[in-house]
Amino acid sequence: MLLEEKTSQEQAFEPLIVAFCCNWCSYAGADLAGTSRLQYPANVKIIKVPCSCRVNPNFVLRAFQKGADGVVIAGCHPGDCHYSTGNYFTRRRFTLLMNMLDFIGIEKERFTVDWISAAEGSKFAAVMNGVLEKVHKLGPNRKMRDKRWKR
Amino acid sequence: MKKIAKDRLPELLQKMAEAGKVYAPVNKGGKTNFSVWQPGDAADLTTLRSAVPAKSVLFPQSETYLRFAQQGKKLSIETVGGEADEYVLFGVRACDAKSFALLDKVFLSEPVDQFYASRRELGTVVAVACREPEDACFCRAFDIAADAPAGADVCVWDTGDDLFWLVQTEKGERLTARLAGLLEDAGAADDAALPALQAQIRAQLDELPLAALVAEKKHQALKQLFDDEQWLACSESCLGCGTCTYVCPTCHCYDIQDYDTGTGTERSRCWDSCMFSDFTQMAHGNPRKTQKERFRQRFMHKLVYYPNNYNEIACVGCGRCLEACPVNMNIVKVMKKIGGEAR
Amino acid sequence: MEKIAAAVRERAKRALATGEVDRVFAWKRGEFWYDVTPAVFETADETDELLWDSFCVANLSKYLTGAVRQGFKVGVFVKGCDALAFNQLLQDNRISRENVRLFGLPCPGMVDPEKLKKAKRYRGVRAVARAGDVLALQGKHGEQQVEAPAYLYDKCLVCRHPNPVVYDELLAEPQPVRTPDSDRFALVNELEAMSAEEKFLFWQEQFDKCIRCNACRNICPACSCEKCIFDNGESGVAAKANADSCEEQFFHLIRAYHVAGRCVDCGECSRVCPAGIPLHLLNRKIIKDIQAIYGDYEAGLDPNVPAPLATYRLDDADPFDGHQKGGKK
Repeated sequence: MLLEEKTSQEQAFEPLIVAFCCNWCSYAGADLAGTSRLQYPANVKIIKVPCSCRVNPNFVLRAFQKGADGVVIAGCHPGDCHYSTGNYFTRRRFTLLMNMLDFIGIEKERFTVDWISAAEGSKFAAVMNGVLEKVHKLGPNRKMRDKRWKR
Repeated sequence: MKKIAKDRLPELLQKMAEAGKVYAPVNKGGKTNFSVWQPGDAADLTTLRSAVPAKSVLFPQSETYLRFAQQGKKLSIETVGGEADEYVLFGVRACDAKSFALLDKVFLSEPVDQFYASRRELGTVVAVACREPEDACFCRAFDIAADAPAGADVCVWDTGDDLFWLVQTEKGERLTARLAGLLEDAGAADDAALPALQAQIRAQLDELPLAALVAEKKHQALKQLFDDEQWLACSESCLGCGTCTYVCPTCHCYDIQDYDTGTGTERSRCWDSCMFSDFTQMAHGNPRKTQKERFRQRFMHKLVYYPNNYNEIACVGCGRCLEACPVNMNIVKVMKKIGGEAR
Repeated sequence: MEKIAAAVRERAKRALATGEVDRVFAWKRGEFWYDVTPAVFETADETDELLWDSFCVANLSKYLTGAVRQGFKVGVFVKGCDALAFNQLLQDNRISRENVRLFGLPCPGMVDPEKLKKAKRYRGVRAVARAGDVLALQGKHGEQQVEAPAYLYDKCLVCRHPNPVVYDELLAEPQPVRTPDSDRFALVNELEAMSAEEKFLFWQEQFDKCIRCNACRNICPACSCEKCIFDNGESGVAAKANADSCEEQFFHLIRAYHVAGRCVDCGECSRVCPAGIPLHLLNRKIIKDIQAIYGDYEAGLDPNVPAPLATYRLDDADPFDGHQKGGKK
């Protein structure tokens, strides 16, 4: 690739972040971030899920294939799950998935799991800003993107 | 006859590649398959069978052939797919070359498959005789000469030191003319060596465990074959994977799939397998509900339906399914069981 | 091995003759020396064709799912890895223990014909006999003897359980374990040590060979779903087409992940792969992680111990709690 072309592409790079947020904590946290007028980037697309353990690894990989440069799963803090134990399963599942992504050579920094309560509007904004910054550094997701997909 | 020293094969491929794509057997990640030859690739003429048959060049496992998108009230349609430029398919075996003739009967009869037809027309096929046939080979049952491949544009024999080069068709003539600087004329000694090499190959074929296998068209009534009790016994070990289908040089069923690109749709076709539970799935479900029925479909197609249509069995005895089946259930066993002994 | 084979045949014959079972799942000779097919035996007379030799590598446990559902009483021969698979199917409620008579066969490791081929030992062989670790390759030019361990399947070289972990009766003397358990993670460790780019290129090259035949899935004793998401047009992930390389990446990650904590590491996925993809490495990576993070667990050892992804502990490691707030560390 020509150098100029690359630079211009990087300048134009607007990462897309998909955030799966648990209905009871993290989604309410996002709400609070909004009503508190905290700044978090518009590049974050939120998908509401009943519980963080509703998220299937398929969802994460599909998001990466179809345009996401970063994926976040946000759930209640361990111990605070609306369904008592859902996020404990989330924790195990995605610990393994993250290691697997790393194992096949995919930047695991693109994938984040975090615990955000309904009261943590500021944490929500901080997490999203952090993810965006990391993904910005990594550049567009090429290793998992379906080449047929056009934004 | 022409010839070239075997160690000059890269030069030969380089020269061919200057005029267009060259597909050759190349080992990648531990398996040899046909892929577009790049300078630096070592063509593998030792491995007898590519893991995926050479049909993948004429009939790719997956091929996008249509793109469409809607903008407002306007629908744009773009036809893609097929081959636009001449290319060379180097290094197919006699069995694979024969499989092209069988596929032709399906894809080149009306309605003609334009993508297959373009690849068939633009490709020059260079076949290589098998120096060392293996235990699972049974091409002879179908009158295929592993020592003198038919149906190719050029035949090549690997003597160990040299490659003998014998033109078969006009297309082969044109390719040979392009390679004039590299190919040299074979001498009288070489002309004598070729029959000896062929005899040596035939002697090896005689020794194979399946040498005595005779593949005859099944003469029983269709209904009788269809209801044969042996189908259940044969299919009981079948796992229902599509390995046999995908490594088969003559299997040619495909499925059509649409992909949503976010701004439009890409339509592609891809190999399908009658061993799969969703093969020919319709609104009411699958017409073949159990593995026995799916298994029967595959072998009835090869041994009965295809021969009824085209008067030939749709198998070339390449032995890939014998080697690849996870549980070693294969067409030879079926041929021997269904409709009586085939031997 | 011939002596044990005779006992195996005898036992199957007796089980069918006395009505102890309705059907026996075992192995049968095919066209040539390495060609062995799983087969169902329904009468005592048929059992003469029954076989036990160095090529009985196919796992018979998975066939039980169909037979047991049909209500048959089934006899089945299990090697060490097959017995683990049996337990896993039991744990996943795919089969019931009552209807199955398990004949255990301590396994000396199975021979890979490909390895014999690569070593140029293959041509002209007509039969292979085995005594302990010596293989006698019999051809028309006489017999040559070779050491079996050099020609065993890779998966057999790192076998942890040559002896069945569950059985109703054992038909031979137990076999020794060849290698320490740690050996099986050697390749995983090697891959882990590579850079992200190297890892990616390695797997990309491997996945590119995939032809989506589903052999890895269909042979797998942990892949026992009635309807796989990859066969379900409505799942949104089914795709026969390998139109883009990400489809294979997706398939293999999800395949490995779906058997996480249930994979008995029998290595069948890699053995059957016609493209030669080392699929078991993905599974082993998960096994290694589970052992490192959640403690010792071996799938298929005891069907009553909950699988690691079907359970949790309050004090599990939490790699996500970077902010150190809430929850237990």
